[in-house]
Amino acid sequence: MNAVITDASSQALPMPSPTNNLAAQGRRLGALMILPAQLLLLFIVVFPLLMQIYISLTYWGPTDGVSWIYAYQSLNLFANYVTFFTDANLWAAIARTLFIIVVAVPLEFLLGLGLATLFVDSFPGRRVFYSILLTPMMVVPAVAGYMFYMLFQSNGPVNQILSFFSNSKVELVWLSVPHLALTAVIAADVWEWTPLVFLILLAGILAVPEDQLRAATMLGASWPQRFRRIVLPRMKTVIVIVLVLRCVEAFKLFDVMFVMTRGGPGTSTETISLYIYKQTFNELEWSYVAAIGLTLLIILSVLAVIGMRFMKHEIEIERSMAPETIEGKTT
Amino acid sequence: MDRSKVFLGAGRYLLIGLASVIALVPVVWMATMAFKPREEWTSGIDQLSWLPKNPTFDNFTFIFTGHAPKLVVAIDRVAIGPAISSIVCATLGTIIAVTVGTLAAYAVSRFKVGRNLPLSILQLRLFPPLAVMIPVMIMWAYLGLIDTWWGLSLIYGIVTLPFSFWLMMTFFDDVPREIEEAALVEGCTPWVVFRRVTLPMVKAPLATTILFVFILNWSDYAIALLLTRKDWITIPVFMNALSTAMTGQMYGAKAALGLIAAIPPVVLGILIQKYLVRGLTFGALKQ
Repeated sequence: MNAVITDASSQALPMPSPTNNLAAQGRRLGALMILPAQLLLLFIVVFPLLMQIYISLTYWGPTDGVSWIYAYQSLNLFANYVTFFTDANLWAAIARTLFIIVVAVPLEFLLGLGLATLFVDSFPGRRVFYSILLTPMMVVPAVAGYMFYMLFQSNGPVNQILSFFSNSKVELVWLSVPHLALTAVIAADVWEWTPLVFLILLAGILAVPEDQLRAATMLGASWPQRFRRIVLPRMKTVIVIVLVLRCVEAFKLFDVMFVMTRGGPGTSTETISLYIYKQTFNELEWSYVAAIGLTLLIILSVLAVIGMRFMKHEIEIERSMAPETIEGKTT
Repeated sequence: MDRSKVFLGAGRYLLIGLASVIALVPVVWMATMAFKPREEWTSGIDQLSWLPKNPTFDNFTFIFTGHAPKLVVAIDRVAIGPAISSIVCATLGTIIAVTVGTLAAYAVSRFKVGRNLPLSILQLRLFPPLAVMIPVMIMWAYLGLIDTWWGLSLIYGIVTLPFSFWLMMTFFDDVPREIEEAALVEGCTPWVVFRRVTLPMVKAPLATTILFVFILNWSDYAIALLLTRKDWITIPVFMNALSTAMTGQMYGAKAALGLIAAIPPVVLGILIQKYLVRGLTFGALKQ
């Protein structure tokens, strides 16, 4: 322990400054360095959030002719929130979004896991195929939406391929029949995001310690046994991460839908984001949209907190089991 | 034994081959469509051809100049503006996100300041952008940021901040402290250490982060749709606006635009393949 030296006197010293002064310098620099990020957060979170709460308590809309500051003139307290809970179209959109998640995410997971197991050990051409399989997720989502829009035209390639295999002329009007449109939209999502699941799960599998697998092999465990007893338990965290990531992203689903179907035919592919878009730009119900947004914000935040707790717990268990597996090896 | 191995190997190639075909078919269809003349855009299902019979650059000429020999359609603007907008806004957004994110990440990683910052930044990524856009749209209108390059760049910088921040934080955590400590003992100020010692050590990760964030900004559609109107619409917005009016579906022209929009992320993505897992999971998984 050094004797206590004040800041002023230490700055007067030409050479090595005592560590406590360095720490103070560090803290000061640290505070300066996070300042821009904090200002941006203040700008984009705190202020808009207050504004959103305020507007959601009124009937204010952009065509009212008054600035949002005077929204209190049409104060209605919780009327928008009451509407939220009684709006059948909104709940249908939420249910549709959840349906798409429930169908698409498990599909992506199974396909991604299957592909990942094929890539565990090396084979000629592995790198090339790996790059090819990652291509879909690099494509701009709006462009992917347009690709699938073209593919699913009634005189498009999908029908052509189906005709080829069924030996009869298939002319399904994919995007104009509700359940077919939903299928097409889910197909687009699965196409685009299976690579992401594949990529992350493969990293997880490769991080499983090799010596354990080798030991199990020597003890005569078959690949399915090794997979179930060693690989899967080790991959719990990775699986949770990938599922959470996909569910969050799928809940936001907008670009592909908007380009492919605009939520149509009717409302058969209208997700929550599309419903909000229509309320914003077709109905101009901005205060209602603010209320929907806030309610979703609260629900998602609660889910996120629960999810984080769970993930932290899992990661701690994992760490206590095998500290060396946290950082995986490179492919 | 040997036989089953051959069989397994063949089965693996078959499955991977099939998956690769499925992965590429939509891309190939759009790529060939971009080179098809107008007569081949749509055709009866029996005459559908995967390769253009008379390949042409007309679609590209058309979107950049507004007219091509066989495409006599009036469009109110050409793709040059949107292309510039996409490049400018994605680049500036990336600069904002990476600068702010790197500074904050270093501070949190080294000086243990801002304990709540990582999670509150991550939260930015959680919510559907459309659910929280109303106040942002009002603010942008009030500040005169709608349909400007600086307004779009600013929101891009904010939206991708979580990625740059979390990525750089995990990269800084990986850098051994000993060298920095040695420099500090030598009498360098913390800022000089960051600038002259740490930053040069994370050059490659920084480049990865920049490319990753650029891909994300380039891929945006919803935000540009909401915050631009005319002068600064980006390529995806322009592309999907191309069919409305009286022009009907401009399959080939849109495919050409789609191709232009799709190429940069695919190429850059291959460049940063090694770090994709880390980036996509906010650094939770290090491959």
